[in-house]
Order: sequence, then structure tokens, then C-alpha cells
Amino acid sequence: MIRHIVRKEFMDVVRDGRFRWCAALIGALLLVSLGTGWVQARNAQKELAAAQATARDHWESQGEKNPHSAAHYGVYAFKPRLALSFVDEGVDSYAGTSVFLEAHRQNDFLLRPAQDATPAQRFGALTAAQVLQHLVPLLIILLTFGALAGERERGTLRQLLATGVGRLELALGKALGVAAALALLLVPAALVGAAAIVIGSPGPATSPIVRGAVLTGVYLVYFATFIGLSLAVSARAPSARTALVILLAIWVVNGLVAPRVAVDLSKWLYPTPSAVEFTQTLGSEMASGVDGIERPDRAASTQELLDQYNLEKVEDLPINAIGVFLQKSEEFGNQIYDRNYGSLWSTFERQGYVHEALAVTAPLLAVRTLSMGLAGTDVEQHRHFAAAAEDYRRVLVERLNRELTENSRTGEVYLAAADLWSQMPPFQYDAPTMAWVLQNRALSLLVLGLWLAGAFVAVVAAVRRAEVA
Amino acid sequence: MGTMTTKTILINEWRLLAADRILRIVLPLFVVLFAYALANGMSWVRFQEHTVQVVRDGNVERTDALERELIAIENGSEPSSPFRDPRAANVMGGARGARSVALEPGPLTALAVGQSDLLPYYYDVSINTNETTFLQNGEVENPLNLMVGRFDLAFVAVYLLPLLVLALSFNVLSGEREQGTLALTLSQPVSARRIVATKLAFRALLVMAVAIGVSVLGILITGSLGSSEPSGRALLWCAALTIYALFWFSLTAWVNSLGRSSAWNATVLVGAWLVLVVVLPAAINIAAGLFHPLPSRVEMITAQREASNDAVSRRSELLARYLEDHPELAGGAVADESNRAALAWAATEAVNQRLEEVSAQHQIRREEQSELVRRYRFLSPALLVQEMLIDAAGTGDARFARFQSQVREFADQWRSFFVPAILAGEKMSAEVLPSIPRFQFVDESLGDVTRRSAVPLSTLTILVGLVSVGAWVGLGRVRGAG
Amino acid sequence: METGPESRMNNESEVATADATQKHAAAADGTSTPVLEARSLSKRYGELEAVAGLDLRVDPTEIYCLLGPNGAGKTTTIHLFLGFLEPTSGSVHVMGMDVADEPLKSKNHLAYIPEQVMLYRNLSGLENLAYFSALGGKESLSTERLSEILVEAGLQPEAVHSRVSEYSKGMRQKVGNAIAIAKEADALLLDEPTSGLDPQASNEFSELLERLKERGVAVLMATHDLFRAKESGSRIGIMRYGRLVAEMTTDEIGHADLERIYLDHMHE
Repeated sequence: MIRHIVRKEFMDVVRDGRFRWCAALIGALLLVSLGTGWVQARNAQKELAAAQATARDHWESQGEKNPHSAAHYGVYAFKPRLALSFVDEGVDSYAGTSVFLEAHRQNDFLLRPAQDATPAQRFGALTAAQVLQHLVPLLIILLTFGALAGERERGTLRQLLATGVGRLELALGKALGVAAALALLLVPAALVGAAAIVIGSPGPATSPIVRGAVLTGVYLVYFATFIGLSLAVSARAPSARTALVILLAIWVVNGLVAPRVAVDLSKWLYPTPSAVEFTQTLGSEMASGVDGIERPDRAASTQELLDQYNLEKVEDLPINAIGVFLQKSEEFGNQIYDRNYGSLWSTFERQGYVHEALAVTAPLLAVRTLSMGLAGTDVEQHRHFAAAAEDYRRVLVERLNRELTENSRTGEVYLAAADLWSQMPPFQYDAPTMAWVLQNRALSLLVLGLWLAGAFVAVVAAVRRAEVA
Repeated sequence: MGTMTTKTILINEWRLLAADRILRIVLPLFVVLFAYALANGMSWVRFQEHTVQVVRDGNVERTDALERELIAIENGSEPSSPFRDPRAANVMGGARGARSVALEPGPLTALAVGQSDLLPYYYDVSINTNETTFLQNGEVENPLNLMVGRFDLAFVAVYLLPLLVLALSFNVLSGEREQGTLALTLSQPVSARRIVATKLAFRALLVMAVAIGVSVLGILITGSLGSSEPSGRALLWCAALTIYALFWFSLTAWVNSLGRSSAWNATVLVGAWLVLVVVLPAAINIAAGLFHPLPSRVEMITAQREASNDAVSRRSELLARYLEDHPELAGGAVADESNRAALAWAATEAVNQRLEEVSAQHQIRREEQSELVRRYRFLSPALLVQEMLIDAAGTGDARFARFQSQVREFADQWRSFFVPAILAGEKMSAEVLPSIPRFQFVDESLGDVTRRSAVPLSTLTILVGLVSVGAWVGLGRVRGAG
Repeated sequence: METGPESRMNNESEVATADATQKHAAAADGTSTPVLEARSLSKRYGELEAVAGLDLRVDPTEIYCLLGPNGAGKTTTIHLFLGFLEPTSGSVHVMGMDVADEPLKSKNHLAYIPEQVMLYRNLSGLENLAYFSALGGKESLSTERLSEILVEAGLQPEAVHSRVSEYSKGMRQKVGNAIAIAKEADALLLDEPTSGLDPQASNEFSELLERLKERGVAVLMATHDLFRAKESGSRIGIMRYGRLVAEMTTDEIGHADLERIYLDHMHE
């Protein structure tokens, strides 16, 4: 029985001129956005990889130099574009692409591409994720708003139910029919996406195919939710027109209103400091320490060393006291940075949770979080990279201070050999695994699951109680 | 009989709309959305004003500290640190005496946050200021929040206002036909043109009353209506808002004049909204990035690196470099003070020049891209209006660029004040403090803003005119109810 | 107002009657222009000729009934008089004005009751009447007067202020009648006015027509209803394939004759 309903529904949809137009348009947008996204991600990644190599080159060709001067000379780290970033650009444009790693300082990420763009940028870019999150649900609404309300208005619903078909069977048949029509559009896009990863991955990633598969799954759940909601509204609305109006209102709230309300709510609940205040706090804590984090004293540090070696004069120390002191200052600074940046990042994290929690009003928020997460373009993974770069900075500076400490004496002008720099390990970044991503995004997974279950319950309840005439 | 008929239709419309349940929900909902957006914008303005105050207080504190120490030194005390001696020109003009310059929030920021959450609105100017200074980030902000954007009046106006217009008027004529009242109406001495025009005018008044009412309220509350400039900006804002709403009204009139069903009208109009407001701007962004890629700033970092390497090697003075980084660690090895500062300045100057070259090239390519995007924006009224709105609000690119270029000039002044002293090894005193250059932002005049908005505004006006003429002609063909 | 005082009728019925008598006299001596006139009127839709060379005139106090099967061109003729359609050739005149030249002015002289009177459902009958009357140039009618007209048209007084969404089809039709009465037009165009009405409502409608006739109104009525046509009409035209195949005054025929004549023409 269901087979016939699915077949009829599928034929009905596919023969509908409006569907053909919309599907052709959305399908084209999807393919174009995948293609352009891929090209752009690939170009960006090439450039970043080249810049990273040049940065290493600069580092290695410093020649004879004092190790601490080298630490000041520093090195740049560039955030790579990950393989799936061509599907969802995420916050990449707004998060900065490069950070300068140097002695004493943890620097901000600079070069947000958005800063160089025109205000048009704020309308968002046409990425595959945007098409999937905004346009496909609209297509679903157009396909399903009249599914039951329209049949009732035309009087065909009575006829249908008179044939003995169950209400739930009917709803399921319609859902599957719409799904089959959507598949005409989505399957080619998914294949193109998969081919893009297999043939020429635009950037590094862990298990891109599995990530892609999970990403596909997430979007399918999202679409299923929309099909369910649309059918439920169509079953209960007094007329097809009312159903359409209600569904369009849901679409506007889901795609336009809720995301921006989430921004304001998150800022209101977890305010971020202004940049100037942040810098001021950092500066004053660096100058005089805070909360038991004490600024090391050079004289005390030297005295400590002399005591340790049982010596009187600094010149007699077998090591460079300045190197030891530099490392102490470094560790002090690290604690201050951890404190301040740590609290800033956790504010961002909490703001992210507000966006995720508000997904109970708009499934888009959950899908967007998961999509950016799987594509590796969310704030958390930006933080992951920032943390990796900062760890590298600390290891590098520590190693350089050790070089200074162990190979020279206090007051001596020491120049390290030119081959020292290439002995330092280069910066290697390993993007987080998918398990790490999904663990962090458990809330969104849960809310999305709830939406699917809710849509299912709604459609069952609505179809059972739907009026026939 | 003209005015009487118009009045009759207006009264009837009022009765009809007042009796319509959907309208009773939609209109108050929009009032709420507008008010919420305004409250949001206002809290952002307060945040920015506070920040600007903090920045300015910092200036006062730094100058006071310098002055105290200089006077103390004149009275015989020692400098707090020999390396931070305020009498040295490279200290007074360097980080210690740096002047923070801030851009006041745009006059109508409460209405449109625009680019003000993304672009820096304060910089520290010192002798170390160079092109990399302008690479810094703006306000501390969660990238996710930047990506999504704010719920401000500009958002409500650009995205949601058209939906209100469509909801109110998609069936302004088709509805009459479908409910059968058109036959009776047209049997009276009144034309379809007048009916549609009056009905739309009435709705436009309702919509504009809400939109402009809330805008003016916001301007009054934030108190930026004081001088003549902001009220001129307010006029521009209202003009942009009005022409945008009129565009959507004329579009509904035209679609209605085609004589199709209400369902068809709704589909076409929502489709038009989707294409013009959502799809086209996003597609233009992608196209701009693809066809006119912007050289990334990554290049600039590399150039900076190479320039400073070069400068350093030309100096072939690794020791000086080392001393410059850590003079306190050099112990007895301190070289001649003024000579060292002069040497360091020579290197800095070389790097700065190279950076300016790279930056100028980048700027040229950036402007090329912007120019193309600016040309594309004529494809979508939403893009045109968004830019006009934030420009009128003073939160658009132009005002920030103006600020940046004035800061550049100020940094030049700053350098020409301190560098000769650095090179000559002059000692500074407290008397110098009042003569240090001061920054005064010269805001753009209303004329500048108006000139920039002139082309988009007249383009939209022409567009509205053309669509209206189309609608007028189409409605002229509507005779009967068939 | 373009309409001169002499062509507008006063509310006072005595004056109206006097006015009507004048008009009647004028019509009888053949010097006056007819209220409604079609001259060699044709309307084609592609191959289909909906109205073909129709000549027709209706004078004051005359009730002209257009009889004919579905698709004979009756409704098209009425729509041509209203300017809802443009003639392919020929012309329609209202009070001597060519409707094509004066599409709006001519409507000042016309009242129209469609087959299905559809009104604003969220407004009351009174509000609907007020609106349409005002559009027709009667802005100054008081609420009391409008209520009287509604009751005169047969609406129960207690229904005057209820929303139209609660009205039956017959009640809506009565509001339609009221709109026509209130306009005090020179001509009344009726499209199947009695279809779907019960016999009593139908009877009331005939009485209304009689009153309007006494006020000097010229009525053009498209109908299937031979009985009503014979009962109320003063002249009868039979249409088929867009042509007037027969024209007669009701004085010339008995009821039985009309049916025979009609059927004869249909079987030609």
C-alpha cells in the first residue's frame, strides 16, 4: 500500500513545475557552492602551506644569533584549511588565520579575511552549508505544505481514506515520496562532495570520508525533521494557505531570527570584555602579578642559583643565570596568559553553548554547530589550533632559553651556531579527531535528536487528529 | 471626487485590517521586533562609548605619569628605570607615551551596528606605529557572533521588513477578486489603479509609521539628534528605509497587476525576496571571492619578515639588535645611547617603508575588488540598502577608512615630532608634553555621506519608478473581475 | 461630481416619481437618449463570438430581460456595459456616453448586482453598504438611512450589524440589492438575480424591481427565469450565440407564448 502512496507522491512532486524550477535552482546552487568552495579552500590552503614553509625558512636561515634573540624573532603559525572546510566555511572568515609566536607574549590571531571584505560579506557566503541549512528546508516546505491540507481542501483526502489506507501509512507515504524527490537533488550533490574529497582533498583532515558521511547523516536528520514538521502543520492547519504561512514563519524564525537572538542572548549572559580592558588587565597582571602568581625577581632568582651551586659570584656559575630567569619570566607570563585567555575562551565556549541550547527553538542552530564542527571550522577548533600553536611557542621558547642557559655564562655575549635553528622541530598541527568534535558537540546532537523525535511525535499526533473534511 | 474616493477606500481598509486576525498578530509582532532590535543597538552603543572613555582615560593616565616623573627628575630624582627614561625621545614617543586614538561610535550606531563590531575603532599611536598596526583585530568578539551578525534595526529593515510588506499586500488585488468583491467594486466609478494604489499607500503608511517611528525614537533616545549632521543622517536613513519599502510595495503592485491568483503572487513574491535578499548577496560574495580574489594578508606578513631581516642584515649589527631587545641584560655592554636609538630607528624606518609599499599594493587590489563588489550590488536592492543604511548610521566601511587614514596622518605627525629628537639624542622635558601632536578626528560631512548614497538612492528610485510604471500599466488593463 | 443635478434623484420618493414621469415622457417622444444602448456591439474571444452585432436600448422605467441559454452572451453583454470588457467592435453607451471613452463617469449612472453577491466577510452588512455607496459617490448617507435601505432591500433589521461571514447567500444578495438601491443610479444591471433564491425571496425581489421601475430606473436583467421575465419585464430579448434572435414587449405575449417562442428559437 505504502509503495503506491510513495510512488504517487513522488510522481506528483516530480511532475510539478514549481518543484522542477526550485529543485533545479537549489541543485545548481548546491553544486556551484561546492565547486567554488572547493576551489577557494584549495587556493587558500596552498597559500597557507606556502606561507608556513616560508616562515620555517626564515626561521632556519637566521644565521648565528643569540637564542633569545631568535625567540624574539619568533615564527608565524598559519591555520590550515581542513579538508571539509569547502562544505562549510564556518567562522574562518572571522577568526583570523595567523598568529605570531615569540618570546614573552601570547599574541592574538590576526588577519580576519572579513576585515578586508565589503559589508556585503555580512549577508553570508553561498556555501554548500548555507544552501543545505536554509534553502533545502524551504524547498521541503513548498513540497509538503499542501500535502494533507491541500488534499482536504480538494476533497481527495476523504476519497483516499475511504479506500482503507491508514492515516499514518498515508503520512509516511507522503514523507517518503517527498524524500525520494529530494534525493534526486541531494544524492548527486553528496556524490560530488565525496568525489571532491577523494580526488583532491583541499586540505588536511582526519578521516574525511567518515566525517563527510556523518555530516550527511546530520543533514538528513535535519531534513527529516523539516518533512515531519511540515506534514504535521499541513495535517492540522485549517487550510493549505494557513499551513504555508505557519511554515514560512517557522522558516524565518529558524533561519533568521533565532540565530541572531542567540548572539544577543549569549553576549548578554556571558559578556566579553572590551579589547582595551582585556589588554589593560593583561598588562597590569604582567607588571605586578595577581592572585598568588608572583612576578619573578631577577636578584632573587640569581641568589637562588648561587645558593644551589654554593657560589658567591654570578660569573662563576656554570650556567647563564639570565637564561634561567628568562624561563622563569616565561612561565610566569604563561600563567597570566592562561588565566586571561583561558577565561576569554571559556566565555566564548559558554556563548557557544547558548547558541547550542537555543537550538530547542530552531534546529538550524544545532545543525550549524555540528556542520561547522565536522567541517573543522568552528570556534572550538579554532581554539584547538590556537592552543596547539601556543604549546609550540612555549616548547620552542623553553628550548631556546635552555640553549642559552646551558651554553653560555651570565654576562657573556653568546651567539648560537647557524645550524641550531633547523634542529628545532617545526610546527606540526594535528587537527582534532571526529570523536573529539562530536564529544564537544553532544548538546547539539541531543537537541537535533530531540527535534527528530519531536517532529515524529508531532506528525503522528497531528495525522491521527487531523480532520478529514 | 478623487479625494473622497481615496478616503472611502482608506476607511474601508482600516476597518478590514482592524478586523483581520493575522494582522492583529503580525503588526504588534513587528513593533516588538523593531523595539528589540533598537534595544540591542543601544546596548552596543553604550559598550562602545564606555570603551572609548576607557581608551581616553588611558591617555590621561599615561600623560600624567610621564609628567609626574619628568617633574620629579627635574627636581633631582632618578628615572624609575634607565631604559624607560621619559626624557628619551624614543621612550616618550614610544610605547610609554603612546597616544590612544579612538573613533566615537557612528551617530546612528544604535540603528545599525554595521561593520563596527568587526573593524577596529581605536589604535595606539607611537613611533612604532606602522602598517602592521592596522592589521590588528577590532573589538574582542566571538567569531561565531561576528559570523551571524547582530539583530539590529538594519537587519530587521533589510530582511524582515520586506516580509511584512509581502504579508500585508501580496493579495491586495487578487484577494478582492478571489473573495468576489472586485466585481461590485469595479461596478462603481473607481479604477483598479486607484483601489490598489490607495490600499498600498495605506499599508505603506502603516509600515513606515512603525519603521520610521522606531528609528526616530532610537535617534531621540540615544540623543544623537542634537547637531545638524545626525539629523541629516537620520533623513538619509529614513530615505533609504522608505525607498526600500516602496520597492517591495511596487513589486507587490506589479505582481498583483498580472492578474494571477493570490497563491501565485505569494509564491513569486517570496521567491523574489529569497533571491534578492538571501541568495544573490551570498552568491555575489562567492563570485567576488572567486573571480577577484583578494591577495591575502599572509603575503604582508612574509614581506614584513623579509624587510626586517634585510634591515637587520644591512645593519650587520647583531649585537645592537640584541641590546635593543634587552638592554637591561647587556650589563656593561651598553653602547652610546643616542647612537643606538638612531641605529634602531634607521632599521625601523626601512621596515616601515617596505611595509607601506606592500600595504599600498594590497590596498589597490582591495579597492579593485571592492569596486567590483560595489558594481554587483546593483543586482540586489537589499545590498544597496544595507550599505546605505550603515553608511548613514556611520558604521560603514567609509567612516572606518577615513578614521584609519587620519590615524596614518597622525602617526606621521607623531613621527616627525619625535624622530628628529631621537636622531639628535635630545632630552625631553615636561614642557614638551603640551606641544605633542594631538589627534582630532574630523568626521565626514553630511555631503560626503549623501554623495556616496546618491547613486544607490537614485538607482533604487528609478527601479521603483520602473516597477511602478509596470504596475500602473498592468493595472490599467484590469477592467473586470474575470 | 460630474453628474448633473437633473440626472441624480432625490431621496424623496414623490420627487423621484415626478422625475421618472418626466423621463418617461421624454423617452416616449423618442427625442431623449436611452439610458443603456448597445450599437452593433461585438465581442470575440479568438474564434468564439460571445456577442455578435448586438443592438439594444433600454429607456427609463423599462425592465429589459435578456433571455437565453448558458453561453448566449448575456453576461458578456452586461460586462460590456460595465466596462469590464472592451468591445471588439461597436460600442456601448450609458446616458449617451461611450463607455470606452468614459469608463469611470459612465459607472456613476450604473448599479450592478452580480449573480453571486460577494462581500467583505469581516465587515457587517451595513459597513459593506457604506463602503460601496461611498465608492459610488454617496459619501453623505447617514447610518440610519443606510440601515433603512438594507431593511428596504429585505434584510432583517437585527442582521444589519452582524458580520457578513454569518450571512446566508440570500442575505448577501439583499445587501447587493441595497447597494443598488442606495446608489440611485439611472440604470440597474442584473446578472441572474434570482438564481438560487427561494420563491419568497424571489418574489420580494420582483417587488423591489417594481419600486425601482417606478423611480424611473432602466433595468437590464440577464436571466434564465422565463416566469420572472414575463412577470417583471417590460421588454424581452432572446439571445443565442451572441445574437438577439427575438425582441418583444411583455404586453404582446402571454406566459405560455413566451415559453413556446423561447423554445422555438432554441431549436432553430
